[in-house]
Amino acid sequence: MIEVRLFATFREGREKVQFLDAKEFRKAGDVLDYLNIPHDEVAIYLINGRHSKFTDSINEGDVLAIFPPVGGG
Amino acid sequence: MRYERQILMEQIGIEGQEKLNRSTVAVVGCGGLGSPVLTYLASAGIGRLVIIDFDVVSESNLNRQFLYGAEDIGKLKVVCAKERLQDLNDEIEIVGFHEKISTDNIGKFIDSADVVIDCVDNIETRILLGRACLSRNIPLVEAGVEGFYGWIMSIGVESACLECMGFEHMKIPRPGPIIGTTAGVIGSLQANECIKIILGMKGTLFGMMLQYDGINGSIDSIELQKDNSCIAHRG
Repeated sequence: MIEVRLFATFREGREKVQFLDAKEFRKAGDVLDYLNIPHDEVAIYLINGRHSKFTDSINEGDVLAIFPPVGGG
Repeated sequence: MRYERQILMEQIGIEGQEKLNRSTVAVVGCGGLGSPVLTYLASAGIGRLVIIDFDVVSESNLNRQFLYGAEDIGKLKVVCAKERLQDLNDEIEIVGFHEKISTDNIGKFIDSADVVIDCVDNIETRILLGRACLSRNIPLVEAGVEGFYGWIMSIGVESACLECMGFEHMKIPRPGPIIGTTAGVIGSLQANECIKIILGMKGTLFGMMLQYDGINGSIDSIELQKDNSCIAHRG
């Protein structure tokens, strides 16, 4: 399983935490497609707390954190 | 006595209050986040506040930037903020700069600071501040807000920075949607974090991001890993 944690507007219309079968996804971008999140709307994508690319591999036990832009002051 | 209720706290006491009174904090940006940050730091007795902003007060600021009133529209924010904060606490020193921060002048604003607080609304200044604070080993309290959402984290040489997270590629909508309550919550957390850092308390947000969700009424924490190849950390 992988744990997917969504933040800010990505939670709207979606569960904020989801546990998914790791075998269903090869790359980080595949998880975005499954969740219907356009790639160009993602500002920060962390796997196990580290900055990741959409082409990075997904592995059993990974914790994903996905954020849209939130940078106002 | 002005600080007697916080001196009653075991985490502060007379010794902690003296630490706060002796400290210098640089606050960059006097807007939605800057208003609560500066108000609480001035109230808490931070001895010297350095405030930097390049903006004037506009009507659309007034839904969240409570340092200002309608009579301030068109005036420099640093001037109005200093006046308001000095009314709140005339025992502290407040230095205001109406200047745009750049690599050439940033040292003038932050070199004397024990903590820097980022309250700006653009990525370029966030990246500039991050690199400058890392190279000087000054703790930086970062935060961002939009709509009902916000986040906060602290940055130091041993913990993740915005560039470790790929933040430099972020595109922020302008003008960004925002409600005053979100800026109030996150700005208050920034001031609290700054006070904890000065007091040397445990539980600070280095290597940790708090995400506030004002729609569901929740705060989540995410552990962050420093990127050993990060340009900002390498200096």
